[in-house]
Amino acid sequence: MIGVGAAGPIGNEVGVGGRAGPRTEPAQLLSLARERAGWANLDLSGLDAVDERPFWIALSLVPGLGPVGFARLLLRYGSARAAWSAGPELLGELPRLAADTASGLQRLSLTSVDAIASPVEATTERAGGRIVTALEPGYPPALATVDPRPPVLFVSGDAEALVGPAVAVVGTRRATGYGRSAAAEIADELGRAGVTVVSGLAMGIDGEAHTAAIEAGGRTVAVLPSPLDRIYPPRHRELARRIVSTGGALVSELAPGHAPGRPDFARRNRIIAGLARAVVVVEAPDRSGALLTAAAAIDYGKELFAVPGPIDAVASRGCNRLIADQMATLVTSAAALLQRIGAAPGERQASVLNLSEAEALVLGNLLRRPASIEELMGRTRLATGPLASALTLLEARGLVESYGGATFHATLAARRIGRSGGLDGG
Amino acid sequence: MLAETLSASIVGVEGVAVRVEVDVAFGLPALTIVGLAGSQVQEARERVRSAIRNSGFELPARRITVNLSPADLPKDGTGYDLAIAVGILAASGQLRSVERLADTALVGELALDGAIRPVAGTMALGAAARAAGVPGLLVGSGATAEAAAVAGLEVHGAASLGEAVAHLTGVRKLPAIAPTPLPAAPMRVDAPDLAEVHGQPLGRRALEIAIAGRHNLVLSGPPGIGKTLLLRCAAALLPPLDDEEAVEVSRIYSVAGLLDRRAPLLRARPFRAPHHTISTQALVGGGPRVRPGEASLAHRGVLLLDEMLQFRADALDALRQPLEAGTVTIGRVEGALTMPASFALLSAFNPCPCGWLGARTRACTCEEGTARRYASRLSGPLRDRIDLWVTMDAPVARVDTDGVEPSSAVSHRVAAAWHRQRERQGIANGELPPRELADRNGFGPAVMGLLAQRGRRFNLSPRRLHRTARVARTIADLAGSTSVGREHLDEALRYRAEVAPR
Repeated sequence: MIGVGAAGPIGNEVGVGGRAGPRTEPAQLLSLARERAGWANLDLSGLDAVDERPFWIALSLVPGLGPVGFARLLLRYGSARAAWSAGPELLGELPRLAADTASGLQRLSLTSVDAIASPVEATTERAGGRIVTALEPGYPPALATVDPRPPVLFVSGDAEALVGPAVAVVGTRRATGYGRSAAAEIADELGRAGVTVVSGLAMGIDGEAHTAAIEAGGRTVAVLPSPLDRIYPPRHRELARRIVSTGGALVSELAPGHAPGRPDFARRNRIIAGLARAVVVVEAPDRSGALLTAAAAIDYGKELFAVPGPIDAVASRGCNRLIADQMATLVTSAAALLQRIGAAPGERQASVLNLSEAEALVLGNLLRRPASIEELMGRTRLATGPLASALTLLEARGLVESYGGATFHATLAARRIGRSGGLDGG
Repeated sequence: MLAETLSASIVGVEGVAVRVEVDVAFGLPALTIVGLAGSQVQEARERVRSAIRNSGFELPARRITVNLSPADLPKDGTGYDLAIAVGILAASGQLRSVERLADTALVGELALDGAIRPVAGTMALGAAARAAGVPGLLVGSGATAEAAAVAGLEVHGAASLGEAVAHLTGVRKLPAIAPTPLPAAPMRVDAPDLAEVHGQPLGRRALEIAIAGRHNLVLSGPPGIGKTLLLRCAAALLPPLDDEEAVEVSRIYSVAGLLDRRAPLLRARPFRAPHHTISTQALVGGGPRVRPGEASLAHRGVLLLDEMLQFRADALDALRQPLEAGTVTIGRVEGALTMPASFALLSAFNPCPCGWLGARTRACTCEEGTARRYASRLSGPLRDRIDLWVTMDAPVARVDTDGVEPSSAVSHRVAAAWHRQRERQGIANGELPPRELADRNGFGPAVMGLLAQRGRRFNLSPRRLHRTARVARTIADLAGSTSVGREHLDEALRYRAEVAPR
């Protein structure tokens, strides 16, 4: 859909450098996303949810018929049942129809609606989920503001997770240590404050945000780019299981059995923005898929935040640009973010660390700012050997993390302790 | 008439004594060489024929049979020429006395005019003769320096077949070559200096540890930040070979034909840096006539693999054995052959094909999954054998060049650490077997307990733990400490390898 021609076949991120296609500016993304579908003009209150349900499910399965076309049919016929009985006549109603949509509609209208809807209900149940139409009470109220709105959602997990206050935490799959630790800190703060963390289950920032929210005892919702029966990325299957088992939910727009393709990733971002009260872009290079979520957030009137990065950090260029173009509010800290969205910070247990002088010095430095070993040497005046030794001890105690790179970061645990005054000089 | 002379053959990097039996009998004139003689040995017929004639002797117009024993050992090379020629002369009664033939091994290639040329592997051949109880060795006069490196052997050098015969029959004795002092090859001086490397304190430190304890090192990071330069500096940090090692290493080089015959004793520690297009055979040795590969040529020294992930996967995999056991075993039809290959592996590579994965200032442009596949070229077992792993990135700001140590300062510390290892356990820390991680070598119960604890925390395999302990021992040696402490162990753990590709 919106200018993501260069996106990989599976991935919400657009590659950088040397590829075809012009660079997509955030402002451009906005205008591209602003194609109104007309859901706002629909009055759904007169429709019977139970009676309409199979027709909604069946119509949503027509290949190529997206939320926009769906809304147009509802507008014309008043209900999905009426649209269905119109049969092939529907074709005249829809301008710009893809060939497979036309043939799909034709084929579908020859079949009984239950023969189409029931097997999907069954496979969804087998995948541990359920189908929710936009007419039903289980449909996330937050999505009511979204246009186009997915007519049917496939949900697994606790429905409550889709009701409470939620903030989306998104970013690049190629996250740096800085991005990971920022994502973890923000998601931790949100989780602790009882705010649901919404993200896309992708590698990198998304995964970090889900994990931190779970570990903080909070709820988290993953909006999948794939159907419930085919968790993507496969490496996050276990994470998806944990999300459900800790009171969170998995949401997908796609029926089980659907093979996810490129547009599904972009569409997913729209739901992420729709489910949340605010969107935080933690780390995004130019042309990252996270910028699509940002564009959707602005479109839906959600508050947009971005975590700034160093001016020479390519991984943060998209974020910095959102801030520079005054489209996003700069996030100074997780606590400040919480205050902005009006949530109260959660409880913390204070603890005190017992560190040697050198270790406290190193950790104190890293709490101020992540650093490479050269920078640490310059700041602490320690020799390489003792510095390396101190870093390992701090790592062993879970206070420092290098994320496999050359830069060292203080972990959440360390920051928590530092904030509560358990560390001198921190 | 029957005669027997002594020579020797090379198998891998070792010599084996060979008996050359010559029978001159009535029959049609012919010269036959048997005993699994390869093509180079077969050609000896022509060289020997001409050399005998051109040295003023006579090739009997009889049926001559030469048997190289043991006859089931494949033989190749040109070193048997001299022994065959002398054998023919003895069997055809052209020698006044044959007594000395039983106590002198003859090694040399014959020119058509009868001159004796030196052959590759003289040192190993001499050692084989001595091991077989032969007290003397006669070689071409160009190879005497090399031969004399073998202790306990009386070495003579002859310029021609005529001189050799005169010596063997007692007509004109050649002087014995004094075994010492051996001319040593000049020490290498062309390595860059550590002072030229910008920043990278962790890489520097890890290199010092790797050299000091003979550990395996990996430097990973984006291009152009000094990985290769840093590794090249290692050549100047290596302490010279001691006497015993010098002979051992020189023998391998002798077999490979890489010695300077005038100054055959290698004193500089081997520093081999093969290009990444190298074949597996060239890397670990092999071929129809087994030759030592780069791994054996790096024995007691350094094998540098720059752009390590660009090497052929099977070549890298073949390094598993030498990295673990310090030897290379080559399976052949005639049985397995083992060559020494105990080296420190120093390697560098980019984390992904474009090189910029994880770099702070530039984006990686590789396709999704490419980096992972690339990194997995370093197989798990190989990854497990890396002792020190440093992820490098470009320095953040202006590099403080004050206090950057030159190579000379580091090599002093390295030499002191080597000395401590020698004194304590006789071998390098990188070669310490698990049972040596004991109190007597400075591993107290407290530090071993901590090691186990850290192993659980960082999810390290027993092999990794063992390797970490050896690195800690080297760090303690660099600090001049008799016992391994917590700070040494924790520093060693800082250089632990990434368990799986990012």
